[in-house]
Amino acid sequence: MKFLPLIWRNAVRNRLRTFLTLAGIAFLLFVLIFVMTGLSEIQAWEGVAATHRRVVVQHAEGLMAELPIELENFLKGDIISRHAEHVCKFNWFGGYYQDQKNWPPEFAVDPETMRVLFDELSFSDEAYRKFSETKTGALVGIALMKKYDWKVGQRITLIGTFYPVNLELDIVGIFTTKDPRQEEQMFFRWDYLDELLKGRKVVSTYWMKARSDEDIPKLKELIDAHTKNSSAPTETITEKEFAAQFMQMMGNIKAIVAVIGALVLLIMIMMTANTMAMAARERVTEVAVMRTLGFTAGQILGVILAESILVSMLGAALAIGSSLLIFNVVKLSPDPIYFPVFLVAPNTVATAIGAALSCGVMSSLVPAIRSARRKISDGLRQVV
Amino acid sequence: MSAPVVKVQGVSKIYYRDETPVPVLEAIDLEVAEGDFVALMGPSGSGKSTLLNLIAGIDRASSGRVEVAGSELSALSETALAAFRSRHIGFIFQLYNLIPVLTAYENVELPLLLTPLSRSDREKHVMMALDVVGLADRKDHTPRQLSGGQEQRVAIARAIVTDPTLLLADEPTGDLDKKSEEEVLTLLQRLNKEFKKAIVMVTHDPKAAACAARTVMLEKGALVSKP
Repeated sequence: MKFLPLIWRNAVRNRLRTFLTLAGIAFLLFVLIFVMTGLSEIQAWEGVAATHRRVVVQHAEGLMAELPIELENFLKGDIISRHAEHVCKFNWFGGYYQDQKNWPPEFAVDPETMRVLFDELSFSDEAYRKFSETKTGALVGIALMKKYDWKVGQRITLIGTFYPVNLELDIVGIFTTKDPRQEEQMFFRWDYLDELLKGRKVVSTYWMKARSDEDIPKLKELIDAHTKNSSAPTETITEKEFAAQFMQMMGNIKAIVAVIGALVLLIMIMMTANTMAMAARERVTEVAVMRTLGFTAGQILGVILAESILVSMLGAALAIGSSLLIFNVVKLSPDPIYFPVFLVAPNTVATAIGAALSCGVMSSLVPAIRSARRKISDGLRQVV
Repeated sequence: MSAPVVKVQGVSKIYYRDETPVPVLEAIDLEVAEGDFVALMGPSGSGKSTLLNLIAGIDRASSGRVEVAGSELSALSETALAAFRSRHIGFIFQLYNLIPVLTAYENVELPLLLTPLSRSDREKHVMMALDVVGLADRKDHTPRQLSGGQEQRVAIARAIVTDPTLLLADEPTGDLDKKSEEEVLTLLQRLNKEFKKAIVMVTHDPKAAACAARTVMLEKGALVSKP
């Protein structure tokens, strides 16, 4: 601690240079936090999805293709019900609220089965009764209610983009869950959507719950075999696979994040190393003087490393502070459709701190060792 | 006569330029007693600063013995040498060599950071040293805000703040105007007489050398006179 004033004064000796280095580190770490948060949000959905035994039936050609309504009878029939229960139609609506900046994730579901299928959602019996009785009813996650300052009983309009209709929904209840991401969602009735679409019976996916883990492969086999030679062949997958597939639409994001992370670290190290090398060159005589006063090579090494770590950590504080403010407090999302929730996770913060620490150490190690090892008499003779 | 603080026996120093040996000091014998004030004179390149560096333990002799305050320096590791310098040596440079980002106070405090002294004890020592050199009122000034003479006085305060056994000064007045030169020489004499500090001072200036108790001449790496 008693060396701190010396370390601090050295760090801010050339204010413009330190500011530029610090700003560069902060910007790069912000980019790292941003892409890592995207990745962790994807992994969070996959993680939540893996905890349920939910199975999704979709068209083999993908989510944009429709499934026939007749398939529901087969899914609810004896063959399948031995392995699964609670079949529910499930359509993503893809509409916005008031402004194209607002994309609450809205899903059309069957009120009869949604409560047991999505049993992690917690809402009152009264709310569920109203949802079952009101064709225009909507159950809304508590976070979404707060986000748009909605109230129970309020009528809201969602402007359709994927479907050529607008929804006029009455909020009949609020739900909570353990996962904050789900609390950003809302559910409305599939039969209301169908009515607006004039009875076209459009089904994007069917969801159901496997009776056991062992039933999942059997369900895949039975359903896909049944539809194989039909006009709408299906692909039956788990909810986790569904989540992973949804995110693959954005490309191999994990590889992109890994490449960006490595590049960020490399550029940070090169930038800080340049600053530290310049600083060390300017201070050859000072280091020699300090060693004449009795500073050991190890102490010199420590002072230079500490200076570099200090600058890197200040950059990290700036990046972490601003990203927490933007994403966790103001709750901005880069893409409200793909990322209705975009929260910087504690492990992302820890990674950013780790990256800054590594940058601080790695960038100054060579100049610090050189300074510490230079002969004092050579250092005193140096004219800078 | 008091016990020698510095005992240099048969010391040679050879530098290598590429692979060519360049002898700088040859078979030097020198003793400096407690409370002595020695001026080390000689032309440029005669090896004065090299000898001073050997005594300070910031360079190592090629052969011979350098004993300072009872420690044989060639036997000490780099870390032990650092501890030795911190405890026994106060070094005054020609160009003052204060750390520009630190205030006068912080510059003087710097050697004390290596000691286990508490903050308040360090403050007492620093203020005492600044008082001795007459710059207590300039403690918050950075080197840039001080004149050359004041900078050198701060450097002297830094050299004496740990109460070292030996003060080594390498051309301490070489970069100063006449008035500042006199102030610094008076201060060194005071440190020698009043505080009984042994001083070895390298100088070109006969007037500065006259302030010392005795003068040692070096020429082409050898002692030519030892009064």
